[in-house]
Amino acid sequence: MTIDQFLLMKNEILLIAIAVIVLIIDLMTDNKKILFPVMIILFIFTTVIGFIYQTDGELFGGMYRSTPLINMMKNILNTGVLIILLQSAGWLINKAENHENIGGFCFILISSLAGMCFMISSGDFLMFYLGLELATIPIAALVAYEKMKFLSAEAGTKFILSAVLSSGILLYGISILYGTNGSILFKDLNNSVEITNLQALAFIFILSGIAFKISLVPFHLWTADVYEGAPVNITSFLSSISKAASVFILLILLFTVFINFSEIWNELLVYLSILTMTIGNLFAIRQQNLKRFLAFSSIAQAGFIPLGFIGGTSLGASTVLYFLLIYVFSNLGAFGVVSVVTSATGKESMNDYNGFYKTNRGLSIVMMLSLFSLAGIPPVAGFFSKFFLFTIAAKQGYYFLLFIAVINATISLYYYLLVVKAMFINENEQPIEKITSDVYAKLGLAICVLGIVFTGLFGIIFDYINTLSKGI
Amino acid sequence: MEFKLETFLFFFLAVSSIISAIMMITRKSPISSALFLILNFFTVSGLYLLLKAQFIAVIQVLVYMGAIMVLFLFVIMLLNLQDKSKFKEKYSYKKITSLLLSILLFCILSFTLYFGFTGKFKAMSDAAGDLGKAETLGAELFTAFSFPFELASFLLLAAIVGAVVLAKKKFN
Repeated sequence: MTIDQFLLMKNEILLIAIAVIVLIIDLMTDNKKILFPVMIILFIFTTVIGFIYQTDGELFGGMYRSTPLINMMKNILNTGVLIILLQSAGWLINKAENHENIGGFCFILISSLAGMCFMISSGDFLMFYLGLELATIPIAALVAYEKMKFLSAEAGTKFILSAVLSSGILLYGISILYGTNGSILFKDLNNSVEITNLQALAFIFILSGIAFKISLVPFHLWTADVYEGAPVNITSFLSSISKAASVFILLILLFTVFINFSEIWNELLVYLSILTMTIGNLFAIRQQNLKRFLAFSSIAQAGFIPLGFIGGTSLGASTVLYFLLIYVFSNLGAFGVVSVVTSATGKESMNDYNGFYKTNRGLSIVMMLSLFSLAGIPPVAGFFSKFFLFTIAAKQGYYFLLFIAVINATISLYYYLLVVKAMFINENEQPIEKITSDVYAKLGLAICVLGIVFTGLFGIIFDYINTLSKGI
Repeated sequence: MEFKLETFLFFFLAVSSIISAIMMITRKSPISSALFLILNFFTVSGLYLLLKAQFIAVIQVLVYMGAIMVLFLFVIMLLNLQDKSKFKEKYSYKKITSLLLSILLFCILSFTLYFGFTGKFKAMSDAAGDLGKAETLGAELFTAFSFPFELASFLLLAAIVGAVVLAKKKFN
């Protein structure tokens, strides 16, 4: 193996290297605070390298593959995790009881990201499964982080049980597929998969296993409790990065291995999409806890994603990527503000945010932009990504689905604006006092705002993704 | 039909593994649940032997029945579960629905397997007998599958760190 081939895996190698460096520094020093800046600098380095150095090729007989599109997916995930690490600085460094665990926290987040990268670049189902587990299992420890609180312990249990169940279903599907085709390599399966009853069953099992991770309805029941019980930063990781990675691998599987099944998954995804959007929205309207509210809104947002899959076009693939890029920025922006407020005051309820604008102008404007982007109000980026998804569905002639999607987008506008109204218009005797956030959190929120504003305004970003998506 | 010892053994092991699994989840006392779990592991390792995977069968006995079950029994002993009423659940709509759904799933699976598939599974080949030996398995694991092997080791490291993070935090 030459060095060029080795560099195909540069992103994963760098991530694992950072994780191990973090672990070693954690063991060597008593002052855990110095760990954080070192890790952030290394991580920014990795993220930047990902954008500069493009690779294309495959390794280990097709077990690992890398294309420009896969690179782009990894870049989106890297940027998202960078933002989350920056946002969690306040929670980790300012609270003395968390100092012990700075190293463990960073190690787990980064190794989970490495697992996602392996999953996305996998060329066979073995690597896919190992990557998926690496992305899921360590995170369970962080979900149950505040183990003495009942909610957090419950969240950890629910998370691990639903992860095990979904893995079981997924593995069953993979085993049937292996039995009928005699291979687990994507490139072999691509030629030999055909629609028989047994293989269709295998496909449905695999789809359900991944749908658990994206929390599409009816596989969403674990989501709200887990999101509420976990620490805010882990919730934002699960609801944006985890979800985005699972959508990416679903995209790759549907467009390469299961492209012959497109008539089955077109129909299935239409029903999943309608159910997910509607039920996610109906539950989101009633929520009073802001974290729970954002959890249900993220379920509803995931319902829009299947619109891009319909028809199996490369334009659809690039639209899904574009949607997720903007979704990561906007969701992390909203969660970032909640994280800053929660770590400073411990308040999570929506009523606590009444009159928030009077005391914290900057934070409430960031929150407003993120919510506008999630709702899809022009000129922020969320409008364009949703609009493009709708055009994909319209082009394929799925007008009923489009109709439901537009209704749901309107309903979601109502509840996003409720939060904005609470912050800007509602009166409050004792609003949340002025919060001065640390430099890391400011940097994280600044990246989110830049992403929300500029990804929409410059068409060149969408064109760039579109040129990459030709070769999935 | 010609009588084959293999077919008889398969049905014997399969039925006893299903029965032991059902017994395991319906017992009231955690110790007898754990003992039925051991029986279940044992029958599954017998099924591995029928598939000519000797090495995996031995590992199943050593790791699952030996190491993991001892851990289970230790935890049960240390927790000292006195209040058994917490484990009891009354018949509720949840139970009935889940029973109906699992019967439905069973019907779908057996229907597709019985009617939906003819011919031989491609994954089965005559060379499969060799793969079960420790020697060939090791050779495959460290040549063709060395990369997934390394990844699995990193997965274990990450899981250990996760467990340490959970355990290290002090109780208030």
